[in-house]
Order: sequence, then C-alpha cells, then structure tokens
Amino acid sequence: MIITSYAIGATRSYIYIRGEFDFGAKRLEEAIKEAHAKGYLGKNILGSGFEHEMYVHRGYGAYICGEETALLESIEGYRAQPRKKPPFPALAGLYGKPTVINNVETLSCIPAIIEKGAEWFKKLGPEKSPGPKIYCVSGHVKKPGLYELPMGTTARELIYGHCGGMLHETRPLKAFIPGGVSAPMLTPQDIDTPLDFDSLAAKGSMLGSGAVIVMDNSTCMVKMAYIINRFFSHESCGKCTPCRDGTPWLTKVLRRLEHGEGRPGDVELLESLCTNIFGRTFCPLGDGAVMALRGALKHFRQEFQYHVDHKMCPVS
Amino acid sequence: MSKGPSRIAEFIKKALFLDFVKGLSITLKYNVSRSITLKYPDEEKWVPDRRFRGQHTLNKDENGRELCVACELCVKVCPTKCITVIPMEDDTGRGIADRVAKVWKVELARCMFCGYCEDACPTRAVRLGRDYELACLDLSCTTREKDELLKPQSIPDTIQGGFVVRSSFERTPEGIRVVPDLRMQKKRNI
Amino acid sequence: MVTVKINGIEVTVEDNTLILDAARQAGIDIPTFCYQADLMGVGSCRMCIVEIEGQKKLQPSCVTPVLHGMAINTETQAVQEARAGVLEFFLANHALDCPVCDKAGECELQDMVYRHGPHKGRHAEPKFKFHEKDYILSPVIVKNSNRCVNCMKCVRVCREVVGANVLGALGRGDHQEATSFARGPLDCDHCGNCIEVCPVGCFMRLPYRYKARPWDLKGADSVCSYCATGCRIVLEERDGVAVRSRAQLGVGINNETLCARGRFGFDYMTSPERITTPLIRKSGGLVPASWEEAFGFIKDAAASIPPDSIGAQPRGLRNEETYTFQKLMREALGSPNIDSSARWAHGAVEAFISAMAMDRGGVSVLDCVKTDTVFVIGAYVSEENPVTDYLIRRYSASRNMNVIVASPRAMKLDSSANLVVRHMPASEGALLEAVLAAMSGQEPDPKALGQAGISADEAKKIAAKLKGSESVGIMAGTDFLRYPSGIGALAKISAALEGLGKKVLRLPLLDRCNQRGAWEMGVHPALGPGYSRRETAGAGTDSMLDAARAGSLKMLYLAGTDLLAMNGDRGIAGEALAKLKLLVVQDMFLTETAKLAHVVLPGAALGEKDGTVTNQEGRVQAVKRLTRPPGKAMADLDIMTMLGSAIATGFPSKIKSASVFDEIRRETGIYETVDLAFNNKKNKGNGHDNKEALVRAAAARLEAKPDFKAAAPAGPDSYPFALVTGNHFFHSGTVSLRSETLAGLAREPVVEIGEEDAGKLGLSGGERVRVRGKNHEATMLLRVRKGTKKGVAFIPENFEGAHANMFFKRGEGIQRVLIERS
Repeated sequence: MIITSYAIGATRSYIYIRGEFDFGAKRLEEAIKEAHAKGYLGKNILGSGFEHEMYVHRGYGAYICGEETALLESIEGYRAQPRKKPPFPALAGLYGKPTVINNVETLSCIPAIIEKGAEWFKKLGPEKSPGPKIYCVSGHVKKPGLYELPMGTTARELIYGHCGGMLHETRPLKAFIPGGVSAPMLTPQDIDTPLDFDSLAAKGSMLGSGAVIVMDNSTCMVKMAYIINRFFSHESCGKCTPCRDGTPWLTKVLRRLEHGEGRPGDVELLESLCTNIFGRTFCPLGDGAVMALRGALKHFRQEFQYHVDHKMCPVS
Repeated sequence: MSKGPSRIAEFIKKALFLDFVKGLSITLKYNVSRSITLKYPDEEKWVPDRRFRGQHTLNKDENGRELCVACELCVKVCPTKCITVIPMEDDTGRGIADRVAKVWKVELARCMFCGYCEDACPTRAVRLGRDYELACLDLSCTTREKDELLKPQSIPDTIQGGFVVRSSFERTPEGIRVVPDLRMQKKRNI
Repeated sequence: MVTVKINGIEVTVEDNTLILDAARQAGIDIPTFCYQADLMGVGSCRMCIVEIEGQKKLQPSCVTPVLHGMAINTETQAVQEARAGVLEFFLANHALDCPVCDKAGECELQDMVYRHGPHKGRHAEPKFKFHEKDYILSPVIVKNSNRCVNCMKCVRVCREVVGANVLGALGRGDHQEATSFARGPLDCDHCGNCIEVCPVGCFMRLPYRYKARPWDLKGADSVCSYCATGCRIVLEERDGVAVRSRAQLGVGINNETLCARGRFGFDYMTSPERITTPLIRKSGGLVPASWEEAFGFIKDAAASIPPDSIGAQPRGLRNEETYTFQKLMREALGSPNIDSSARWAHGAVEAFISAMAMDRGGVSVLDCVKTDTVFVIGAYVSEENPVTDYLIRRYSASRNMNVIVASPRAMKLDSSANLVVRHMPASEGALLEAVLAAMSGQEPDPKALGQAGISADEAKKIAAKLKGSESVGIMAGTDFLRYPSGIGALAKISAALEGLGKKVLRLPLLDRCNQRGAWEMGVHPALGPGYSRRETAGAGTDSMLDAARAGSLKMLYLAGTDLLAMNGDRGIAGEALAKLKLLVVQDMFLTETAKLAHVVLPGAALGEKDGTVTNQEGRVQAVKRLTRPPGKAMADLDIMTMLGSAIATGFPSKIKSASVFDEIRRETGIYETVDLAFNNKKNKGNGHDNKEALVRAAAARLEAKPDFKAAAPAGPDSYPFALVTGNHFFHSGTVSLRSETLAGLAREPVVEIGEEDAGKLGLSGGERVRVRGKNHEATMLLRVRKGTKKGVAFIPENFEGAHANMFFKRGEGIQRVLIERS
C-alpha cells in the first residue's frame, strides 16, 4: 500500500477490514505500528521526503461495503450506501479527494512484481490476465481451503488435483460456482474452463472473487438458490427499489419452494422478477443476486419446476 | 244457401246461457282460482331475495367490530352524492381498525339504490339490505344515520327470500309497522 | 447550450441540465419518486429511468445530465415495463391500507400505479411489518413506517432545507425506515416539511388525522398571516371549518416549504375564543350588543371628541383595510395621529425604510440569496422568518457564496454560515462602524469594538468578505427598530458598498404579516401612501400614549393590535389606555387590550377575506377568502367603513375591496405596476419569483435623518444578563397562542441563555428560574442554547403573563437582569 501511495502521491491510505475480523484488524494495527517504528510510515519515509499515514478502518458487518463507494461512505462515517457514479472515486472519492481503491489481493502482488520483475509476473497465467490468484475452495471437496495458483488454472485441476477430488466418491460433481455467490454456476461440462476473467466471462459466468464453491449431487439447487438469495436480500442496503423490494420477494418465493409450498407459475414469477431487477439497480448487488439465480435456473430449471409440481425435493 | 247452426242448437245455446258462460268463462276461472293480489300489509308481505337493493345496512364482523373504516369511498363513488362520512380515531376496539366513522349518513330521498357504495366498500361494511318500507311523513326521516344502520334489519341473512310470508299490521306510537312472520311462507306463483 | 432529442422532439437546453428537466422543457413528464426539485438528486427510486439510445442499461433521468446529441426515449415498451416493474416492487412491501390512510386520494403511489403500474398484483407473500400502530413523532407529526417507500425526501428536506437534521434512516434493506433516532419523540422545528414532501401516507399531520378526504375539501389560495416572509399557502376547509394549510410545489418563494406557524397555526381561525358579537362596556363589564348598538355607542361617545385627539393603529390587516383606515382617519375624521406599530418608534421606522431603500422598490429574496455574500444582521432569521432561513441554507449549500451571521444569540443558520459573529445586544451600530473602518483600511475604534463585544479581527473578516464580493445581500431585521441607534451605520455601510461598485440588495426582515404593506399604505404619522411625506406629521404611538396620559387624546381606535402586550413600556401603555374617554378595539380575540376597551368590535382573520398583503420583499400577493367570519364578526374593512360613516360625514358605509386596490394603485404610485395575475390558481405561469408583483420605486426618495441616541443600560451592574426579546419560534404576536396546535408546541414563557452561562450558574434546561430586572420579575422555564453570547438572555414577547415588555421601560436602554433558581 505504501508503494501504491508513493506511486500516486497519496498521503493517506486506509485498510478497510470486515468488522468480524477482530484478529486480523489487530494484526494490521500492529503491523502499522511496526512500520512506523521502522520508518516505513510517517513523515519523511526512509529519507525520501514522502509522507504517509495509514489507518485501519473496521467495518460493521455489511456486505455492501464491498462496493467501493459504499466503502468510502462507511469510512466517512455515513450509512454504507453506494454513491452516484460519475464522479468516479479516481476524481472525487474519500472526503472528495481523488482516491484509488483496490482489493488487498491485488495490492499484495505489487511487492512481488517489484522484486521479481514484470516478466516473471506476466509468465504466470494467460496473457490477458496474468499473475497468481488465490482460489478459495469450499464445498464438497476433500481438501477445501485457500490455494494460490497461477491464473487460468482449470477447474478440473483445482478440484480434482489440488483439492483432492470430491468429498464422497459416490457423489459426483453436480455444479460449481467459480467466483463468489454472485457468479452464475457452471456444470461438470465446463470443468475444463480455465479460471480466469475472460474464459469464465465467455462461459456466461465470472471470476469475481475467486471463491469456488463445489456442489455434489446431494445438493438441492433450490435450497442453494434460496440461501444465496437470502444472503443478498439481507445485505441489500435499501437504497434502490428493485434490490430492496425485489430480492426479498425472490427469497420469499424460493423459501416457499424449498418448504414445499410452491404454487403453479412460481418459476415464471422468479424469471419475471429477475428481469425487473437486472440492470435497473443503483449498484451491482441486485445484479449479483439475479445472476446467481439465473445461473441456477438456466441449468436446473427442471429441479425448480419439480419443487413446484410435486411440493418436494427430488434430491433430498 | 247455408243454413248455419240449426235453430234448435241456437235455442239450446240461448236457453243454457252458453254465450254468457263462454264469455264469462275466463272471468269465472279467475273467480275460483287463487288470487295473486298480495293482501299487503294486512295479511301478507313479500320477502325479497338476498340480492335485493333496499335500505343500507352497516355491518360488523364476526367479533362484533364495526367494519366501516370511514374511508369515504362510498361518498366518492355515489352518483347522487347522498352519503356523508366523517371519520374519527377510536382506540377502544370498536372497529376493525383505529379509524371509525363518527358520522355515516345517507339521504334516502336522493339515493337511487344503485349499489355502487356496496361495490366500492373495501371492508364490505355497507351493504344494501332488504328493507323497502321507507315511506315517511316528512323529509327529516329520510336520512338514516349510523346507529340506525348498524341495527340488524327485519329480515336476517339466513332467510333466502323470494317468497311471500304472512304478516300483520301494528299501530305503534311512531307509526304503522308491518310485522312479518318469517316462518310462514305462503305459496304464490308470482 | 446542448441540443438533444427526446421522444423525437428536439430541445436545446443549458449545459448540465438533467434529462428530467430537459424533458419537462419539451413538455414531457417523467414520473419520479425520490426526485424533488430543490433537493440534491439521489437516483435511488429508479422510477425515472429512461432509454438513452446507444446505452444498454436504462438510466435514471433525474441524475443524468444531457450530452450533446443524445437521443432519449421515455415511452418505449421497455421503459413502460420498467416503470411497472418498479411500482410492483414498491407495492410489494407497502402496507396497502389505503382505506385508513390519510393520504388516500392524493397519494403519489396510488396515482402512479393507476397511470403506469401493474394492474394486477402478483405479490402474495407475507410482508415485513415495522410496527402495529401508527406512532407519534411530535405533537404535529404521526408516522406509519409500513407505508414508507424509502424515497428519503423527508431526511433530505430536513437536512438540506430546514437544517434541523433530526431524521435519518434506521435499518438496512427492506427493514430500512426513515424516522427519528430510535423512533423517539422529535425535538425539532415541527415545521412539517417532512409531511409535505412525503409522497405516501408515511408522515402525516397529527391535527388533520382522520378528518377528511381530499374530495371533501375546498381550498383557497392565501398567504400565511404570521411573519412577513409571505409564504403562499392553500387553506382548505371541510364543511366551513378550516382543517389544513399546505404549500404547493412551484408556488411562492416558499415553494412547498412552510414553518410550523404557516403549516399548523391557522386553527386560530376556528378557535372557540373568537369574539362573535360586538361588546359594549356597561356598568363595568363588557356585554354583547348588536352592531347598531355598538356603532350608536361609538357615535355618541365620539360626538364630543375633537378630531385631532383621535389616534389609531391598524395591524395585521390587508392593504385594502390599512389604506381605507388611513383615509378614514386623515380625510374623514381629520386626525393625523395614526401609526401601525405598537413596538417601534415611528422615527425609527422612517429611518429604517430609508436605510433599507424600501422606497426604491421591492427586492426579491431569491435575488438576495444569489449574491456573493449574504450578511444577516439585527435579525433572528432562523426563528422569526424560518422560510427565509431555509432559502439561505439551500442556496448557500449549492453555490459558492459567503453567509455572514451577526447576532447576540446562536441560531440554526450558523451551521450554514462561513462567518459567525456574536455581538452584544443593541450594538449593531457599533459593529457596523467597526466594519466600515476596516473596509476603508483603518483600525476599528476600540470603543466600538468594546461596545459590540467583538474583536478587531472579526470586524476585519467581515470587511474582507464584503469587499471581496461583487454583489452583497444585506438582510437587516427588527433589532434595528428596537435599537435604532444602529440605523445610521446600516445606511452608511450600504452606501459605502455601493460606492465601491458593488451591487447591494437590501432585504428587510420583518416579523408581522403585511407590516410593510401598512407602511406603504401610509399608516404612519409622517408618511402618506407610497412613502410620500405629509406636510404635518401626526403623533406616533408613543406620543399618542403620552397625550392620552395627559388627557389631551381622548379616543383611540385600535384594529388588530394588542397594544398593551406589545408596546415597549407596559406601564405607560396601561395608564394611557385607562385614561381614554373612548377606546375602540377591533380584534378577533379578547386580548389584554380589548379587555380595557369601551367597545369591542369582532374582526375577521386573514383567511376570511379577499384582498392583498405585501410581504417584507415588497411583493404584493392576493389572498382569497376561505370561510366566513364566525357569528356576527365582519371583515375589518366593512367594520371600518360602517364606523366611518357613523362618526364622520360623507364616508361611504360600504366599499368593495377590489375597487380599493384600484385606488391604491393610483394613490401610492408604487403599486401601480403590481401584477396580481400570478396569484390566480389557473395561471400556469405561477412561478415562484414573479417580479411583476414587487412594488415599484417611489417617485421621490424618502430622506430621513437616522440620528438616534442609545439610552444607557438600566438595572444594577451586578445583574449579569442583557435582556433581548423577539418572537418565540412557534409564535408571532399574541394571535398564535390562540392556535391550539401552536400553543401545544409552546405554551409556557421561557428565558434563554447560553450554555456557558448556564454552566456557571449551575442551571440546566427545563428548570424553573426567577428572572429579576429593574422593573419586573417573573418565574419561567429556562432554556439553554449552545453558542449564544455570554451575558445575553432572551425572553420571547408572546406569552401572556410574562410579556417581555414588562421588563422594559421607555427611555431606558438595555435592561440588565439576574437569573437564579426559583
């Protein structure tokens, strides 16, 4: 962060960390203290004349703070709701000043690039999106966890290679989400997709945060969709109408489906609501909720219809 | 040259007053058949069907709470503007919500009994009932207010209606009253 | 300038115009929820989304500016479906209790669903319920959060326009609720602007709760009868009883905003305390009588009184009435003694008129707030003219300008000002002299600085800001009339700025409705209609009272003024009124003055008359009658003409108010070009800054010599507080206490001091304290305000029993008082 700030001439930087990460926040604060002690922060860093102060800001448990302008609002002490863009943060960001916002993962590449050189970095992964990526694998695999691999690692390599394959031999892969809950899910047909930005976008999904969730055939897709949508409707900030009032509606319908109270026309209703939410919201959270649901409906529509028609789950 | 009916036949017809009989047959038929005139109000009274649009009623729900929330939709929709509603706040549970009618007044002299108020009412509070004996002696009694309208009418909902019942005639200090005996139905082919 | 195509229609608009405004210019209406013309755009409701050719996503038109060559479509299938979708989402979480909601019939959600929305609801799920019963946020606001559509207009208007900042959003997502902190009771301005902007029945008027539906109401355009800002209101009645007062978007300088007085204070019209018959004093008491008897009594009593000992004071009446009044006095009765102010000396009024250039024509407040620097001095604008305060706040937030506030007491406008100077009471003149010195590069006189209680630095800062501006708006208020020694400096500083080539706009901040109108009609001992000068000046209020005490003034005719409660020296006023042979009081209520009268004539409220009033800007606005005066009360014009024809020869007994206005145009000269057309509801050009309604400059300048000496402060030196007075926030004069709603907001007299002083005395707000002065002492509640200057105490002039005028005495300067625990 200090390097980036030096590069853009910023005198202040903030690390925004989730409020629940108590241990992490403490570590960061200690690290900052150590950096101060060593002269890496403060006035006249290492005699260069560059001044920089860094702060750790803890959030209070809102997913919406992942949206950059909501994050800025939160640091400024306001309700975390996204701001109008334009003006973009690069022009008017925190406290109205030009601001650069990046994920910790992105910034953590910088010391490596400086040490090992740009060529080394470009060799990792495909040409268009080089570098390492931390894949956070969870779900029905033998070894879930965080794996730092070159960009473009295929899903097969990740799941069957590094993670040791499916958790239960008798339960094959049903679907996997390649990049966080808002990414549309992919089926075993796409197992050889390289997990990088362009390849996944070509498949109609996205890399997103690189959180890979693996589901075997004991997973009910309706339940999955319900839990994901419940998460989104709970985290909706409430600013714009489609997300605030639409995502809870989706959740309620899915809840009924999950509990065997589906009504004829529910699947069509879900699709219609998705159309009304997608692209009409203030920020991409609403879009994220819809993309996840649409992904599930695209591949497993018959499962949803089964819930409606038979009032029970075909899987569990 | 046709002879026509024979003189004997003619004589018999005249002797037996057959012309008269033929002429009076229809009258005599009615003479002995059941009369269709309702002896109203002395002995009989017509009880209308449930769909009949008579005088208004204000209703309560099954817990005894007034259904009217004084939303004034009936006022707005009434073509003759004969209803007046003034709302009021009431926390005592008298109504289904904390909004009840302080005044609910209908001027029957202007009312055309179209039933729009019943259609418009969102709580089914106002319904047109089956009272049709609305005549009175001066204009002041053509206005019906809430307390009166909340009282149940003379024909309860359980009676289907569409028939004639025996009734009797009472003279009371307020005026004349027709008292139907709802158990007794008289057969009428009307 | 940018040219765009909207629905195929080409329009050329200014740069950075929003698509929404450009469409309105083209005559195309785009539905909105969270957009409000005067508030900063948010773009959150997604109702206004339109299709921009070349862009995949539909864009919100209320926050997107046009770019040259844009082609926008607002009525395509996609846009219509989008609107229906958004409305369906609104309805999904809305309470849908229209039958019991007060807003039904005028609800924006209802109207929009009817026009754009889905005609069949698909939401068949349980809804989130915030609470069971409506809850009360303030004595005038009742709330139902289940109906909230999260447009946040309430929060924004409270923050950006009113500056009270008491509303915010609680919760997240569909649990988000715009309300007070923890839904607790509000301690705010109680202005009700949140109610006015709320598109649905979430915020509602508590006094109007469950009273009527919009189709039961008949409205009349009127003007608020409290302060002189002159907010346009629509008064509405049901069955002859006034039930509501509201403002309209795009109408009047207030433009859908009002303060607590304007929005809730109209119910004095229907107070049971209104006088409904004439009263005559018989054997010591006032008994009801008929009009004939009353006029007969007056005729008999006045017969023996020579004309030049009749004094008169009309107040709170429309222009037609004040004009007829002065004509009655001067021409018919031949008495030159008339005045329109119970509180101010007429010499001070003349000097103020001249210093504020009121004779040079009307000045629009909207021009004033568009200058480079607004300088507010001698006026407690946040509480006496709240809507003017809103305008300053709104414009200063979106423009690069200075706002300088100079006052002894802290006020809400401080937070929008970039320079706040606290000075000692009655030292406006000293402050301005110091600023003048700084402006010409000299060191301010230390004596002046000491008197004002400010530092040389502060004076220099003010001077720097004034000098650095190209245009300056000076807003001076009634403190200059209370302490006229400052008027000279006021005139000098305006002249100095003009001399430096600056454009100076002067706006007087007055605190009574139609005060300016009364002066312009010539209700002033030395001035005639249109600021013309009379050859011989009559007696002003103070002289009349002295003459009454001496016995040379025998009759006094007061209309609409509570002289005893408002005059600067209650002792003298009381003596004078008691000595009169004939005291005729024409009023709506039995005020303290009316109780001393020989004849009381029941007058009418402003909402019961047709006519015109002139606000502090000099804007003439028409009022229309809503209801008839109660009982036997009559419009004041009719009473005056009947009284005139009873006691004077040749005075007509009935005059039509419309014909009076024609005469006013001719006789004043300054009203000649006034255009009343914009006041007509049917006029589409009913915009809010109609300069055609401003009065014109007078033919001749009014010269007045502002030569006033300040009297020495009175009271022991050990008494630490300097007493100031003015209107309480929720009151104006004594009429407002007859409004049940306003009285409910503040019924008891209070004394206000600063936080520092309260701390030193060990007192806290809400305690009962004893205020001891040289002339009077009283017990009242203490109120503590952060930021008020040390050594300043304020007692409002409105409350019976603890009138501030009991503490003051004519001829004495600032009163020193002591405050201690009671």
